[in-house]
Amino acid sequence: MIVVMFLTWYERKLLARIQLRIGPLYAGGPGGILQPIADGVKLIFKEVMIPYKADKPLFLGIPLMLVFLGALPFAVIPFGQHWVIANLDVGLVFVFAMASLFPSMILIFAWASNSKYPFLGGLRSLFQQVAYEIPMWISALSVVMLAGSLDLVDIVNAQQKIWFIIPSLLSFIVFFIATMAELERLPFDLPEAEPELVAGWFTESSGAIFMVIFLALYMKLYLMSSLITVLFLGGWWGPAFLPQPVWFIMKTLVVATFIIIPRGVYPRLRVDLLIKIGWTRLLVIAIANVFLTVILLNTGVLAAWGI
Amino acid sequence: MPTLVSFIIVSAALLGIGIYGLSVKRNAIRILFAVELIVNAANLNFVAFTRYMNPPQVSGQVIVFYSIAAAAMEAAVGLALILVAFRLNSSIDVRKLNKLKG
Amino acid sequence: MVGIALEIPPDVTFVILTTITLLAAILALQAKELIYGAVALAISFIGIAGFFVFLDAPYLAMLQIAVYVGAVVVLILFTIMLVRREEVEPAERPEGGEGAVGLWIAGLLAVSIAGVAALAGPNLPQSIQPADLPISQLGPVLAGDYPVPLIILALLLSAALLGALVLAKVDR
Repeated sequence: MIVVMFLTWYERKLLARIQLRIGPLYAGGPGGILQPIADGVKLIFKEVMIPYKADKPLFLGIPLMLVFLGALPFAVIPFGQHWVIANLDVGLVFVFAMASLFPSMILIFAWASNSKYPFLGGLRSLFQQVAYEIPMWISALSVVMLAGSLDLVDIVNAQQKIWFIIPSLLSFIVFFIATMAELERLPFDLPEAEPELVAGWFTESSGAIFMVIFLALYMKLYLMSSLITVLFLGGWWGPAFLPQPVWFIMKTLVVATFIIIPRGVYPRLRVDLLIKIGWTRLLVIAIANVFLTVILLNTGVLAAWGI
Repeated sequence: MPTLVSFIIVSAALLGIGIYGLSVKRNAIRILFAVELIVNAANLNFVAFTRYMNPPQVSGQVIVFYSIAAAAMEAAVGLALILVAFRLNSSIDVRKLNKLKG
Repeated sequence: MVGIALEIPPDVTFVILTTITLLAAILALQAKELIYGAVALAISFIGIAGFFVFLDAPYLAMLQIAVYVGAVVVLILFTIMLVRREEVEPAERPEGGEGAVGLWIAGLLAVSIAGVAALAGPNLPQSIQPADLPISQLGPVLAGDYPVPLIILALLLSAALLGALVLAKVDR
């Protein structure tokens, strides 16, 4: 939670620097660091408007479910050698299964708002997120093949000598792009595009509901960044002068920075082009990387690093 | 730990619910729900048997793996069929969808 | 796994899971609005995934969630939204004797299966220790002992995908 608050502040500052502004400075504390709290207070006090004829139980219940789903996979992500809450044998598939629940809930929420714009935004968002799930799964497949296990702790342990980003650079790129698309960040922002769809699938949520959804989105951002760190950047391994979780959080923040930066830099992609890229190009690159990994494994090139 | 019999009973109950839905409901989509429930009941049965066998066989899990994939496929094709039927007949009431022509 | 990590005895977990799954299944069929029914179906799928976890098959549980709740429910929701008309929403009351007959048939079937199982109770295999079927065993069996079904599954999937695409295509 704290990290999420920090992340929102961090993002706004970073974006502002990119856009040559200074960013939130007035909310008290050094450098405006209390801004997220100010945001939260403002949003709580805003009136919660529920659209006429919207489906009340779904409308109110789904944002909470989203937050719950966003926080749940953190239980299996290891922050350090023994810093994991519940180590499942199938940790990776668990995270992906939870990630695949998001699109369906967004669709239900968009429908429950009972008005045109959120629904259209919800459909587009659904298409986008579903389209990018598969390249994510397949690029994670290369990592699993290299590590030989679905267990997240094992995957990080196998990266002791070499980070997996090096043997599977292609799948890192694919995974990174797919993550940006799943999280609906620019340049894949069309479901949120202001001139086109007001605010996308959460147009009708105001006040506390928006805050909850906002929270869920940023939690997902942090979750995906830490997943990338675990899968590709070697988790918690680093020179021993800093404790392991610190390395992990540092790497995750670096990844999160790289996810946030394109938001201020790149223009938006059109939604049908976006879906086409997901299904055709990224999928092909991910599968090509799987083949490459198979070849690498079989010819024993990576034996020097213990794979 | 509940015995195997209790799992079979749960699975039979789900099967009963699914068959009720399959035979009584008029909305084609609800019938699809019922079919999915039946397949899930069978999967549950398989997994329960896999776990309780002595020694546990892994082939039960393989069967469930295929079953999940096949049922998902069948749901997709079924839904496409429902869409087409709706387009042609403007209704998904199965009592009205009884003409092969068109 | 369950019942040891949490301090809930396994029997209580079993009862909770059963209740959730069966109630959600009944709701899925009886709910007035189709979309509520779809959500209830998703909940019953999650209940079944819980059963899989309970039965020492965590990989299958995750697969169930990812495939069923993540994809099939999305497809169902999509179709429901595309097939909305006023006359498909009225109350699903079965008319005349239909409902009663359906109940009797389904009920008899379920009770007979359960009865056979209960009668054969003592003769069924019983294994008390948790099944140790790690994923590393599932993979080689899938690819090694059953390669033909795997390939057939892949072909079937492609065929289903193409078929669904062709069926749902709108001729412009």
